[in-house]
Amino acid sequence: MPKLIIDNIAVEVADGVTVLEAAQSVDIPIPHFCWHPALGKAGACRVCAVRMMEGPVKGIQMSCMLPAQDGMVVSTTDPEAVTMRRNVIEWLMINHPHDCPVCDEGGECQLQDYTIAGGHGIRRYDGKKRTHINQDLGPYIQHEMNRCIQCYRCVRFYQEYAGGTDFGVMGSAGRVYFGRFREGQLESPFSGNLVDICPTGVFTDKTARFRARYWDYDMAPSVCPGCSLGCNTTPVARYRELLKSIARRNEAVNSWFICDRGRFANGEVNDPQRPRTPLIDGVESSRNEALKALLFRIAQTEERYGTGSIAIVGSSRLSLEAALLLPTLAELTSSGALCYFASEEESGRTLPLFQLLTAGRSASQRDVRESDCIVVYGCDPLQDAPMLALAIRQAWRNGATVYTVGDGISLPCDVTTVDRLDAVPLSDAKNPVLIRSAADIPDQLATTLHQHDHLKLAVLFPAANSYGASKLALKHLGVSFEQAISSGDIKGVISVEADIPQKLLEGIPFVAALDWRMTETVQAAQIFFPTTAWVEMKGTFINHEGRVQRFNKVMNPGVPIRGLDPAVHPPHIHRTAPPGGEPQPAWQILAAVIEGLGGELITEPFTGEWERLRGLDAECEGVIINDI
Amino acid sequence: MEQILFRHNKPERCVTFAEYKSEGGFAALKKALAGMSPDEVQQAVMDSGIRGRGGAGFPTGKKWSFVPRNLTGPRWLICNCDEMEPGTYKDRILLEANPYSLIEGMVLACYAIGVRHSFIFIRRGYEQAATNLRRAIAEATAEGLLGENILGSGFSCDIDVHVSAGRYICGEETALMNALEGKRANPRAKPPFPAIKGLWGGPTVVNNVESLANVPYIIAQGAQWFKETAATPEAAGMKLFCVSGHVANPACFELPLGMSLGEIIDGPCGGMRPGSSFKACLPGGASTPYFTADHWGVPMDFDPVAKAGSRLGTGGIVVFDQQTCMVAATLNLVRFYARESCGWCTPCREGLPFVVHTLEQIESGNGSEEHIAILKEHVKYLNYAFCALAPGAMGPVDGLLKHFEDEILEHIKTGNCPCRN
Repeated sequence: MPKLIIDNIAVEVADGVTVLEAAQSVDIPIPHFCWHPALGKAGACRVCAVRMMEGPVKGIQMSCMLPAQDGMVVSTTDPEAVTMRRNVIEWLMINHPHDCPVCDEGGECQLQDYTIAGGHGIRRYDGKKRTHINQDLGPYIQHEMNRCIQCYRCVRFYQEYAGGTDFGVMGSAGRVYFGRFREGQLESPFSGNLVDICPTGVFTDKTARFRARYWDYDMAPSVCPGCSLGCNTTPVARYRELLKSIARRNEAVNSWFICDRGRFANGEVNDPQRPRTPLIDGVESSRNEALKALLFRIAQTEERYGTGSIAIVGSSRLSLEAALLLPTLAELTSSGALCYFASEEESGRTLPLFQLLTAGRSASQRDVRESDCIVVYGCDPLQDAPMLALAIRQAWRNGATVYTVGDGISLPCDVTTVDRLDAVPLSDAKNPVLIRSAADIPDQLATTLHQHDHLKLAVLFPAANSYGASKLALKHLGVSFEQAISSGDIKGVISVEADIPQKLLEGIPFVAALDWRMTETVQAAQIFFPTTAWVEMKGTFINHEGRVQRFNKVMNPGVPIRGLDPAVHPPHIHRTAPPGGEPQPAWQILAAVIEGLGGELITEPFTGEWERLRGLDAECEGVIINDI
Repeated sequence: MEQILFRHNKPERCVTFAEYKSEGGFAALKKALAGMSPDEVQQAVMDSGIRGRGGAGFPTGKKWSFVPRNLTGPRWLICNCDEMEPGTYKDRILLEANPYSLIEGMVLACYAIGVRHSFIFIRRGYEQAATNLRRAIAEATAEGLLGENILGSGFSCDIDVHVSAGRYICGEETALMNALEGKRANPRAKPPFPAIKGLWGGPTVVNNVESLANVPYIIAQGAQWFKETAATPEAAGMKLFCVSGHVANPACFELPLGMSLGEIIDGPCGGMRPGSSFKACLPGGASTPYFTADHWGVPMDFDPVAKAGSRLGTGGIVVFDQQTCMVAATLNLVRFYARESCGWCTPCREGLPFVVHTLEQIESGNGSEEHIAILKEHVKYLNYAFCALAPGAMGPVDGLLKHFEDEILEHIKTGNCPCRN
């Protein structure tokens, strides 16, 4: 634990921590472009210069390159260090275009900030600027090479961190060029991270181009609903339109990055066809009318077909809050079935694996990154959960051996293919992780887990809250909807963000649906309530490892202004809510239904053993829950 | 005068293998393999006091001693023949005349450090030298002087000739290793130093051609003898000085280290060209601050040259006469470095073109006093670049500001280059 002094402040840091990070730890910001916590040091930009006054090294040094050591005395305010940093900015600004007003990075640009902060205000270079030809890198990433300050972050991420091969650096001296050998869409499934890590506007999000400035953004910490990994994001919205998503750091989960599938997934939220109004038999109505109609038809169904004729169906993409209210609803409707899975197939490939995740057994993305032996068994991480493939690559970069059982699985690292699971030398590994997608469990897997106590398991479940749904299904003896209807007694369904195929609803006279997506179930429903998408509400998911993560509300629900008919916008009539602003979080609709059915008014879904999740901070690492 | 590296030279052609052997070649190798331990070879090189001939002047024996002794896994020797410093051509002259001393020296070095595979990283343009080396390697291998079980000693070692793709930065040892590994020729961060973690992560020694070629003579004739071939007691050995510019007889000479600049120019160089008078010179290649007539008596050895404010560098002396515009000469040099920057770090990639632009303004008559301030600032702050390229590039600029500020001011005042009229 080296102790050093930075600007008269005593600092103690862990071994191997750089002077730059040591300064950061006591809130002394040192500018940096090429250094990045996930990519490490490069020493290329030279903007983190400080003066070492005492200690093993002296003089002007790059703080990102120096591990903190005992006895160091560091000055960040030394005049020569300040001049060096200003000079670096001046050098970078020699060729950087003055196009901030039309640059998407403007307002969230590190170069802009440091130029202002660094004190380079008067241009001394009066020659021509260097210019480049940009490339078309596909529909997601905008390329503007003239803005490049050659920090090499992009190529270090793309090639080293993510294992991409179709993007790199070419040329030398003042002509270095970061791009592809030929124009074309970036091949890496992690290419969107170039937008996040570029400290200036070379790579910007093409899908959100020219839409908003940083200070206009509606932002909040959120969680990606794309798969069961629960990667942390910061979605960005403006005027009720979800513009883009930015990766948010969580060292236990996704570290600094997210995959392209999670990032470029705005379409469904902004979809003009998205159902946004309550419907009774296809007719638009108010929330209250719809609620009354729902209560009436629940009573009618019970009256007609007896108790036990209604099924309550949730799903593994439904937030934990709503999922927690389903048992109460089931009780009040004297329902015949409480279901968390629509099909027997989904239930069959989720629950058995869930049951293997006993305390301490499940592996986080961090566990995968830090593992020394990884077994990919009967799944394709690049398809099922791309960020896990990236985590596997990091383990491999740190020296782990990666085994795949059976052929045909491609990963962004070298793999050793074995025929059978027991061919993997698990006993020799210190902290091995086995990765399996939701599927049946061969005996071999169970045996292997039994034999190797230290083997952790990462299960790639189908959806964001599969873990939560499984937990509740087991606790409340839930069955799959498919199994529930096999008796023929189910005559009414209340589907809460469930994807029930049309064929399972045949012959069921009463269907009510709550959802924010236009699904087959919604189309079949007589009564429909629009719910909010994850970015429009505060909510909770439990990820694949049992990590409970809170996401906060980014934006109000409503038709994006961009999608509005010019006849409607700007508005000519006074209204209190935005058009299309009816969606509510599913749990609030359920609470109203429960109250209508004579139950207690629920203002807080987390009660009893769940109570400790009430104040969960969206910006923490999340909490592991396997004892509830 | 006694010659070491040039003693086998034949007029207008390369020495043959048979000639080299008959004139005492490979005797050092036989001596070492038969009766000296690797440590003894290393000690002899250390005792000889030979300092690296590639520019930095680091003691060769000391460099070898940094390689950890009892480390398993491969270790490497690289001969740096990427001679791209403007004004420096000694390695080419040497290898075109005699590739065998280098081969013998490399085997001895491999023996001393415990290297199985070594490389000669050679500049792309040096086709004749590469041809000579390949021929010499084949001949030596056929005679059992290279390859498996050399001279029945049980020691084996190979040499590969790698022709560089050609960039100045490849002469920087860590960039060279990156290039050899097939990566971009960007320098690596130090530490770790190559002797600990170099080529493919193994301990690596990178030596200049001339340093290695001297090793056989140190072994054959003794460290003390080698040391005493120098002109001063402080210096050690002979040095190849390659002189160019406005002297009567520009050529590469092997001279005792410590001879004064004046002795070199007036002696083997035959003085200045008729009608020319000495104005300045680069004492050790293009990255060294200028010497002027005031430095006529400076002994051309590492420490005295450094003390006089410059560097002995590679020993590439470029002489300028009274008609040379020092601003234009400096501009020409910095243009080379700006072009040869690898593009890795900001000061070098962006700072050098700024210096070029500033010098252009001065030279074209558009200069102002502010430009001098810009140059001074760059001389100082380009020292904080990633590797030694940018600080080296500022060597001549430093010399220009130190010795020829009047000339810059004249450009600025008259709005013209005084030497062009």
